[in-house]
Amino acid sequence: MISPTSECGCPPPAEPLKSKDFRSELKPIWCPGCGDYGVVTALYRALANIGRPPHEIAFISGIGCSSRIPGYTTAYGFNTVHGRALPVAQGIKMASPDLLVLVAGGDGDGFSIGGGHVPHAIRRNLDLTYIVMDNHIYGLTKGQLSPTTPRGAITSSSTHGSMEDPVNPLLYVLAYGAGFVAQGVPADMDGLTKMLEEAIRYPGFAFVNVQSPCVTFGDPDDQLKVQKTRMRKLAEMGHDPTNRLKAMDLAQEYSTSLYTGVFYRNPNPPPTYDSQIRARQRALQTHTTEGGE
Amino acid sequence: MLNDLIIGMAGSGGDGIVSAGESLMSASSHEGYYAILTKSFGSQIRGGESSCRLRVATVPVLNPGGALTVAVALNWEDFLRFGGELPTDGETVVIYEQKTGVAPDAVPLKVRPAIAIAVPIEDLAKKTAGTLLAKNNVILGLVAGWFGLGRQAILEGIRRKFGKKGAEVLQGNERAYAAGLAYADEHPVSQARRLAPSVSGKGRRRVTDGNELCAEAALFAGCKFFGGYPITPATEIMQHLQRDIWKHGGSLLQAEDEIAGIAAAVGASFAGQKAMTATSGPGLSLKTEVLGLASGVELPLVVVNVQRGGPSTGLPTKTEQADLFAAAFSAHGDTVRPILAPISVEDMFPITVEAFNIAEEFQTPVIVLSDQEIAQRKDIIDPIDSSHLKIVDRLRPTDQEMQPYLRFRFTDSGISPISHPGMKGGSYLAAGIEHNEHGDPTSNGTMHERMNDKRLNKLNPLKQRRDLFHIEGDPAAPIGVISWGGVAGVALEAVRTAQAQGLPVKLLVPKLLYPVAEEIYQEFFASLESCVVVEQSHQGQLHKIIRMWVDVPKRFTSFAKSGANPFSPAEIVRKIAQLATPPSRLTATATVPKVTVS
Repeated sequence: MISPTSECGCPPPAEPLKSKDFRSELKPIWCPGCGDYGVVTALYRALANIGRPPHEIAFISGIGCSSRIPGYTTAYGFNTVHGRALPVAQGIKMASPDLLVLVAGGDGDGFSIGGGHVPHAIRRNLDLTYIVMDNHIYGLTKGQLSPTTPRGAITSSSTHGSMEDPVNPLLYVLAYGAGFVAQGVPADMDGLTKMLEEAIRYPGFAFVNVQSPCVTFGDPDDQLKVQKTRMRKLAEMGHDPTNRLKAMDLAQEYSTSLYTGVFYRNPNPPPTYDSQIRARQRALQTHTTEGGE
Repeated sequence: MLNDLIIGMAGSGGDGIVSAGESLMSASSHEGYYAILTKSFGSQIRGGESSCRLRVATVPVLNPGGALTVAVALNWEDFLRFGGELPTDGETVVIYEQKTGVAPDAVPLKVRPAIAIAVPIEDLAKKTAGTLLAKNNVILGLVAGWFGLGRQAILEGIRRKFGKKGAEVLQGNERAYAAGLAYADEHPVSQARRLAPSVSGKGRRRVTDGNELCAEAALFAGCKFFGGYPITPATEIMQHLQRDIWKHGGSLLQAEDEIAGIAAAVGASFAGQKAMTATSGPGLSLKTEVLGLASGVELPLVVVNVQRGGPSTGLPTKTEQADLFAAAFSAHGDTVRPILAPISVEDMFPITVEAFNIAEEFQTPVIVLSDQEIAQRKDIIDPIDSSHLKIVDRLRPTDQEMQPYLRFRFTDSGISPISHPGMKGGSYLAAGIEHNEHGDPTSNGTMHERMNDKRLNKLNPLKQRRDLFHIEGDPAAPIGVISWGGVAGVALEAVRTAQAQGLPVKLLVPKLLYPVAEEIYQEFFASLESCVVVEQSHQGQLHKIIRMWVDVPKRFTSFAKSGANPFSPAEIVRKIAQLATPPSRLTATATVPKVTVS
């Protein structure tokens, strides 16, 4: 039922798949101009390049504007509860390791209500790709502080200005040892597509932070037009993505500089949790048979 | 000769009281007896007081029993701390440490025991083994000598246990045991208190508990995934499963928290595997939101909740039946989750299998309400007969049903074929948000009403599952007893005893607690003038839930106690006898208003 997989879980497609094969008929609820349109489009392209048919993909999300994304694809989608997309996705991958498993959600989903799951997903290192659409605001509930809202920001729940420092998603996942860490912007669709494709191909936990602006409640300085002028491509800066400490250095500028591209890619990916499960199952099943039960 | 003997022992941590109980249990099993061993501790990790009680009999035992036949106290402070868990009466033989300095006619018990014997247990241990650690083997000798429990089997147990620790240690412990035996032989007590020889089953039976059987049953039922988090008294389910689940092609996740545990299990179920989680009260509270998700997206899931005393941390090591409300009602929105409860340790096996079957057939989370006693007490049981147990798998879509595929298709039964990732043509969106037949999000009131109808009505056939209700006694009897879970075994014995005394009483034990099977209760109530619901929760939660749904008898009373206050068969018999007397002699609380249900 599921195609045989290569090391990265990505076989050459039997017949080339196109972006439109991954687009569902459901019309997005997102506001016109929302960054998430760019994310889903880049994802269609990346998945077409990868070539796994939609029914072999499980796409899991939490709650929030961005968490509607699985419904806009033809993959098996699971729009779960707020903050729990990662544990649900891990259960799916453990149960069915051949699936290509994608996880998506907003910054609130991933770094506030679900923040406690991120370190454990990283240290377990299942082969899945986690895309956070980071808009620095709670959009679906109409503009409250999010974990990545800058200090001082005026929002509907901080009319006197935020008194908290934001979480730094990039540094957070690097510190816990994620094997693949990247940041993209919808303003650079080619870069975003390539990065998502690389993340999916990485054999292990891969994290992509997409600076996906909220057109309705977001900071005017965060919008797509501004991104184009602010963004700096790591590749063009000569950043070596195998240098984790340098990646952490650059990640410290999360709030001030808009770096895009791959911050870190582990050149020697450790064994994934799912591969260890299979090895254990094989070993114990063989052992049982040999022992004559 | 006795066919049924109850021994209770208490001491400080390190006295080896529990270990002595386990030795007696193991010897009883070897000798072909049936037995139940319950252990009770303070909540310290090491040290503190500990106790155990062993009920050993020539026939299967239904519960840990009431007053002790034999009480062993290494010191009175620890013994008395267990209060109702180690009740004594005028028939009890009390053995206690001479060093406590208490005179036999002054033992600090409410009722003067039949016999009180002060034994120099410490001195015997020191003299023979050179260490106080051997006290428990002196006790084993005393018990074997006075009450007829397998002398040889206990000795073999000591040899197995200490054989690896070197000749010196082994010989010391053997001498301590022999000293206990000799002391008993030199100071005889009435022969009437000796256990009769066992009649059958030598070496065929096993010692097990509810948590172990739950894990075995889950694998039998085809469980391939467990996600959970350590919590007393449910942890052993995870520990047993992690040893073997891989051999069955499954996997297990000790998650970062209770929520992640159930969330991963829901994920595995979405991926097509039979999945479960296990927890206790505080964990059940944390899992509630994801339970609602499983109901909403109609995914099979088994949640075993091993009840302990609550609220909050409560009494983590003691049994209670106070999570029924939480299991039935702690979800937002209109959700109904089937709730099952085993009525004995042995019953944990078929009930767990049934939970998987119901979850799969009806595409719903199912909660199994075990309790600390069933989960952790040790029973000697006959081998489980699983030949009559069927295994149900979820309904899969046919190729035709996938053109196009409607995951939540409205059907007569309310059950829609379910695909899983990897099935071509079966892609759908599982969404906690309300959805239409296809799975697409909707906020339409009509669709919400229809989906609620679907999710709730599909469970109706469960209410006809008569096999999930244990009913015994004369159907025309005017007095009824209802009980459930771990307490049911006590009620069962009490009802049989009352019947033997000529009281016109019958018993109903629901193993399906929710949804409430109105018709089955109604039929049971038809002949009743009075009824008592016996359960271990302060509010009498089952009593209240039945009243919500069913037209109850005029005298529908509750006999409820908080956890850690065990029921004895005798007190339930007294309750039944009270119901047999005219209502005027009862207290006012016994009568409740009749509830009418449309």
